[in-house]
This record gives sequence, structure tokens and C-alpha cells, in this order.
Amino acid sequence: MKSLWLLTKKNLKLLVRSKTSALVVFFAPLFIILLLGLSYNSTSKYGLNIGVYAPSFSSDVESLISSLQEQEFKIVKYNTAVDDCVKDIKAGVVHACVSVPESLTIDGNQQKEVSFFVDPSKVNLVGVIQDTLNDKFNLKSQQISKELSGNLLTAVSDTKSKLEEQGTQLSSAKEKSAAASTTTLEVSQQLSTLDLTIPTLAYDPQLIVNFKTSVSPKIKSGLADVKDARTAVESSSLEDKSAILSSLSKVEVQLKSLDTLVNGVAVSTNNNTTTNSSNTTVTAASTSFLGALTLLEDELTNTKGKLTAAATAIETTSTGLSSTTQNLQDSVSALEAAQQRVNEMKANLDGQKVTDANVLSAPLVTKIEKVAQEGSYLNYMFPALLVLVVMFSSLLLGTTLVMMEKNSPAFFRNYFLPIKKGTFVVSTYLTTMVITLIQVVIILGVSIIFLKISPLQLLPVAGALLLSSSVFSFMGMGLGYMFKSEETGTLASISTGSLMLFVSGVVLPLETISPAARNIISHFNPFVLSESVIREVFIFNAGFSSVWVELATLAGYAVGLLVVILTAEYLVHKHFISGFMKHRHLKHRQQEKRDKNNV
Amino acid sequence: MLKSLKLIELKEAGKKFRNNQILENVNITVDEGDILGIIGRSGSGKTTLLNLIAGFLEPSSGEVLHSFSVTKGPRNLYTDLHKIKDQIGYAPQHNSFYPKLTVMENLLHFGQLYNLPKATLQNNIKGLLQATGLVLHQNKLAEHLSGGMQKRLDIACSLVHKPKIIVLDEPTADLDPALQKDIMNFLAQVNKQGMTVVIASHHLNLLEKFCTKIAIVHQGKVHSSGNMEEIRKPYLKENFTISLTPGGNKEQFISLLKTLPVNKIIDRQHHIIIHPKNITKTITGLLTLIEEENLSYDLDLRRPSLDEIFETITLEK
Repeated sequence: MKSLWLLTKKNLKLLVRSKTSALVVFFAPLFIILLLGLSYNSTSKYGLNIGVYAPSFSSDVESLISSLQEQEFKIVKYNTAVDDCVKDIKAGVVHACVSVPESLTIDGNQQKEVSFFVDPSKVNLVGVIQDTLNDKFNLKSQQISKELSGNLLTAVSDTKSKLEEQGTQLSSAKEKSAAASTTTLEVSQQLSTLDLTIPTLAYDPQLIVNFKTSVSPKIKSGLADVKDARTAVESSSLEDKSAILSSLSKVEVQLKSLDTLVNGVAVSTNNNTTTNSSNTTVTAASTSFLGALTLLEDELTNTKGKLTAAATAIETTSTGLSSTTQNLQDSVSALEAAQQRVNEMKANLDGQKVTDANVLSAPLVTKIEKVAQEGSYLNYMFPALLVLVVMFSSLLLGTTLVMMEKNSPAFFRNYFLPIKKGTFVVSTYLTTMVITLIQVVIILGVSIIFLKISPLQLLPVAGALLLSSSVFSFMGMGLGYMFKSEETGTLASISTGSLMLFVSGVVLPLETISPAARNIISHFNPFVLSESVIREVFIFNAGFSSVWVELATLAGYAVGLLVVILTAEYLVHKHFISGFMKHRHLKHRQQEKRDKNNV
Repeated sequence: MLKSLKLIELKEAGKKFRNNQILENVNITVDEGDILGIIGRSGSGKTTLLNLIAGFLEPSSGEVLHSFSVTKGPRNLYTDLHKIKDQIGYAPQHNSFYPKLTVMENLLHFGQLYNLPKATLQNNIKGLLQATGLVLHQNKLAEHLSGGMQKRLDIACSLVHKPKIIVLDEPTADLDPALQKDIMNFLAQVNKQGMTVVIASHHLNLLEKFCTKIAIVHQGKVHSSGNMEEIRKPYLKENFTISLTPGGNKEQFISLLKTLPVNKIIDRQHHIIIHPKNITKTITGLLTLIEEENLSYDLDLRRPSLDEIFETITLEK
């Protein structure tokens, strides 16, 4: 146990006393964690650039844009064509595009479609974007759905209150109709009691007919005889009395005939129907016109009584019917009002244009369209993987080669070679490039088989990879020159690579880093630049014009690092060799002492 | 006799690392064809002196001149080094080749970097392989060679471009005596071909035997320099060494010796070295003393060896 502690203590001392080792071993991981912590210590998705395409930006679209801006999204508007926005996704200007209709107002049983255009190659970001946009649009959809449901419920509520109102009126109408019905029944009952039967004729109607047919000619005849008599009287002298008398006799006969007719001319028709005492009167009456008149008078009295009763009944009924009429009129009015309300309600309900449950529940439908060809995650991750391999390979190769040279026994001899210092630097670079080239050829060769990519498509990818490799090689070489031991240099390379990887957006989305830091990282992290170039070339087949800025930056990096390394080499190479010599010299002396002691 | 060319000349050269004065006021001349041996205790500044001679270090004071180009006259070695690297070969203390390359690959690699014509390079390599006895091992990885062969390969790498001067820092260290002698013979052979050799070593007997010049570095200064006679000269006459191996009480013997005219008495474990003030008087007195005191002894009277001179110098206060 003691020895274990002693060994551990010794190791710690050795580590701490070697300043660079201590720096790298202790502080590099902490520094990386600190940087990552500072960078990603946020739940915000900073600076996601969202392109919004709409034929025109109506108020509800603007409202939607405002809600997206509240989410720290930076909105870029497009109103010409959605393709412009899609191009910008490929160019990395925006992270996603949203194609929204001119207006989000739902005016029929037709769902409004919102399309998201996302870059599936940004595997770690596409989910976040989709989720966030989906959330936003679902929220909007819910809002619209709520409005539509509210409208519908308001219409239903209005209808309900109107129906309730109508219910009262209809109850009243019902009561009134019931009252009218009762009244009508009563009237009906009253009317049913009316005796409007024709009295049985006790006289001979033929008598009256005969009277009419007999009396009138006889009266006319009598009157004519009277007239003749007067004429005879006036024109004659008393000598012609016979004529007068004859005329008067005729009148007398006529009048007697009339008297008989009026006072007692028996009429034998219908006398077989009389059976009782009253019939005696009828028979008597029937034998004379006066009697007939008497009977007729009786019957008229009888009829008058009936009619009086009927009149009374009718008067009573009329009152009831007036009430009924009023009730029925009220009912009609109520029903008319009800009909009007029903029409209004129908119109109100007809005014609800959204009646489809699907539209009501999801007025906005979202569609996700991918701007790159559908592929596996490997396709999407391929650019990042390529750059990852090239980065670590080049960084470690650069460091290792420099370390190998620095720690090589031949390091000192090289100083006396008639070769410029830069030649060693460039040769180290070329070595890394040769190895990287072999790796790139193998990886891309295999990818041709697995990803079914055209070899021609991979040529620019290979070119970009080699440029990236140059940058990382020089970085690795720089680290190699900075550190003394190979282990420390290797650790520094891995730490540097890890740092670049962690803040590249491959592991964690860059968009969660604060905009200022992200701006620096995206513009200056060689990994990000390389990955961006490879992605655009590999996935979107972008041309040189699309990636020249990144390529120029990478080339600038490579040249800058080369210049720094050459300058440093020029300035401190001697120091390295002196250190190397000193180290070897001391080792030699120690060996010498050990040998002497052994002797 | 033609005056030999001063290939490298150090004039009051000094080297200081931060506040540590490693060397000061060094005046040495390396003539063409010399085998200059540099001796000194560990940490005395030998390697620094070699580095000044090779042009690797710039002197903090004084100057180091070279005359590789006869027509141009002496020029600053340090500033001119990049132009005359092909004239210098340097074999540092440690082996300086690629262990993972074979013998032949190492020689070819370094030879080709000197832009030698292919045929010349092939000849050089062939000659070196034969001279160093590495012909049979030419396809072996350097790391698989024995220590002696590795040292020979290292020297061969320094010689592959046939420089005018080769600077070797302890080439015989860690080697057995036979190999040490082989190496020195090889260097002597190389020197005979016209190459100037500057060598630092702790094997003084070998240097005494092979070197044409010796420079003794002590406490940051070149205490003595020149050929062996010149080195020895101050130690002749009064500085013959009498080596005594007392048979009885050594302390008593030393106290008696102190009565004699001596400069210094050095007590070695098994014998005593006396540096007489006057060789005649000292020896007469010593013989009288031995006779009077009846001392048992083993007496050796000889000129001082380089080893003894070096020891004398380095033990001086």
C-alpha cells in the first residue's frame, strides 16, 4: 500500500513538475469542459435562421413570424419563390424554410398546409428544428382550432338561447292552441246540439201552389170583370143591365171560388200522414188556405224558436271562436316568429363554414420536405465523419511526425545537413498529406461502393478534404513543436481535435451556443468550415462559387499556420536542438556516473 | 615545412548560458590535418567547446573563425555555418541516426541530403562500410546493432559526405577497450586521408596516443593546449613524477616526504605521487630518506602521462 502511494505520489510530482504535461493533463480537459459548459449552458436555440416563404405577408402570417421571433429565431422572408429559400438552406444561410399560405384564416372545410423544408443532413439539428417549428405551428393550429371551435360553440350557444326563447313562445302558442282546441271542441259540441231539422210539413204545399196558380188568374179575371162591369156601367144606360149583371155574376163566381179556395177548399193530398189531434188541425188547415197559413205560422214559430236557439248558440260560439281566433292568431304569430328564428339559426349555422371535424381539430397541417435526397443517416453524417477522420488523422500525424523528428536521435545531425529548416517542415507536411491521401482514397473508394456515389462527385470532396487535412496537419505540427514529450503532444492534439469537434455542431448543435460565440466558431473553427464545404459539395453538389469563402478561409489558415510554423521553426529551432543536446548530454553524464558507480 | 592551414580558430572565445559562464577566454587553433583531443572533467565545458568549434553555438564573447574557404580568409564560423555545413561532420555523444532505418538506409539518407553525386556517395558508403566493418550488417536495422557498431555507424554517418573536419564528442564512451582502440584507429585512418579530427574523450591514454594536439579544459578555461610535448613541457624538469608504493606505514612515509623539496604530494590509494621542486635534489633526498629510514618502497620515475598531467591540473586549487 505504501509503495502504491509512493509511486502515485512520484507520478503526480513528475506530472506537475513538467509544466507542459501538467498544463495538458490537468488543465486541458478542464479547459475543454469549461469552454463547452460556457458554450452550451443554455436551453435557448440561438440564431436558428428560419426562412419564411409566403405569397404575401398577411397579418396572421406576420403574427406567426412574431411568435417565431420570440423563440430567438431569426426570420428571413421570401416572397418570390420557396426555391430561393431552399437554395439558402443548401448554402447554409438559413436552417429551415417554412412555406405558409397567404393567409392562415380557415374559410372552408379545407385544411391549410404549411410545409417545412429542412436539411436532413444536419442530423442533430433537423429534429430540433422540426420539433420547434411543429410546436409553433401546432400552437398556431390549436389557436385557430380554438377560434373555429369558439365560433361554432358561439353559434350553437346562440341557437340554444334562441331555442330556449322560442321554447317559451312555443309553449305559449301550445297553450293557446290547446285553448283554441278546447274552445273549438266546445263550439263543436254546442253546434251539435242545434236542431236545424226542417219541420214536417202539416199542410199541403200544393195548396199554396194551387192557390198561387188559381188565385192569381181568378183575381185577374175578377179584376177584369170588375173592369168590364165598370166599363159597362159607364157606357150603358140602364138598359143594358143584363150585361152588368152578367159581369157581376162572373165576379161573384170568381170571388166565391176564391173564398172557397181561401176558406175551405179541401185538399186531399198528404192527409194520410196525419194521425193525432194536431193532425186534425193540420187536416183542417190543409183543407183551407188559412189553415195552411196557420200551420205555416206554427211551423214558422217553431223554426223561429230553433233559430233563436241557434242564434244564441252561434253567439256563444262566436265568442269562443273569437277567443280561438285570437289564440290561433297568437299561435301563428309565435310560429312565424319561431320560423323566423329557426331561419336565423339556420343562417347562423350555415355561416359556420368549417364543419369538417378534421379541419376543426387540425386546421393547419404540416408537411416536412427534405431539401436533400433521402438517404440514410450515414449519408448525412458522411461529411462530418470524413472531416472527423481527416482532422484526427492529420492532427495526430502532424504532431507525431514532428515529435518523432524532435525526439529522434538523428535530430541533432539534421541540424548539420545543408537543408533549409523549411524543408523539414514541408516534408513533414507532405508525409501527412501522403498518408491522408491514402486514407481519403480508401474511405472514398469504400464509400463509392456503400453509398453508391459517382467517383466524379467525390473528386471535389477529395480536394476539399486534402485542403482541410493541410490545415489540421499544420495545427498538429504546431502542437508537436510546442510540446516536449510525444505523449503530451498527442494528448494536446486529441484535446484540440475534441474541442473543435465539440464546438462544431456535429455533437451538439451550434445553434445552442450564444450568437457571438457561434459566429466566431462557425467562421473560425476549421472543422466547421471543412464540414460545411464537404457537406455542401457532397450532399448538395454545390459548385466552387458556393464554397469558395470557406475554401479561401481554409487555405488562409493553412498558409497562416505554415508561416507561423516556419517563423517559429526559424526562431526556436536552435533552442530545440540545444534542449535536445542538453537532455542527451545529461543522460550521458548520468549513465557515466552509473557506470563508474558500478565499477 | 609548409605552414598548415588554420581551419578553425577560437580567439578569446567564451560561452555563457544565462548567468552561467561555461567557457571563457578560449584560444585554440584547429589546423588542417590535426587530431585535436579535448579533455576535461565532466561539466568542464568540453561539449560546449566542441559546439563552438562545430559552429553550433555562437560564442558569447570573443570569436570563432573558420578558413574553409582559403581565398576568403578567416570568417565567422557561426554566421557562415549554413554555407559550410558540408565541410563539417559532427558525431555527438549520443548516437545520431534513425534506429528504424537500416545501416545502408541511414548512410544513403544522410549522404543524399548532402547532394553528393550518386557514384561518389556509393563509393563513400562502400569505403565507410568496409572501414567500419559494417559491410555484413548493412541491411540490419540500426537499432539492432551492438553498441560498438552503432557508434561506428554514427561516425560513418558523420563522414558519409567526406567533410574537412569531423567533431566527435566522446566517441569511445561505453565501449570496451578493444572497440575504443578500433574507433581510434579508424579515426587515425580517416585523418591520414586528410580529414581534421576534433575529439573529446575521457580516455586520455588513447588521446595521448592518437592525438596530434591536446586541449585541457578545466573550470571553463583551456588550461593547456598544444601537442603532447607542449602539454608536458611545464611538467618536465621540476615536474617529473615519482610514483612510490610504500611498503609500510603510508602516513609516516608521507610525513617524511614533506621534509623533501616537493611541490605536491598526491596520496593515491595504492601509491604516492610526488611532484618535485628540483628533480635532482628531491631524488637525492628521497633516496637518503629511504636509506636512513629503511623504508620499503617501489619507486617509478617517469615523465608525466597525459592522465597524470590532467590529474595534476584538475586537482590544482
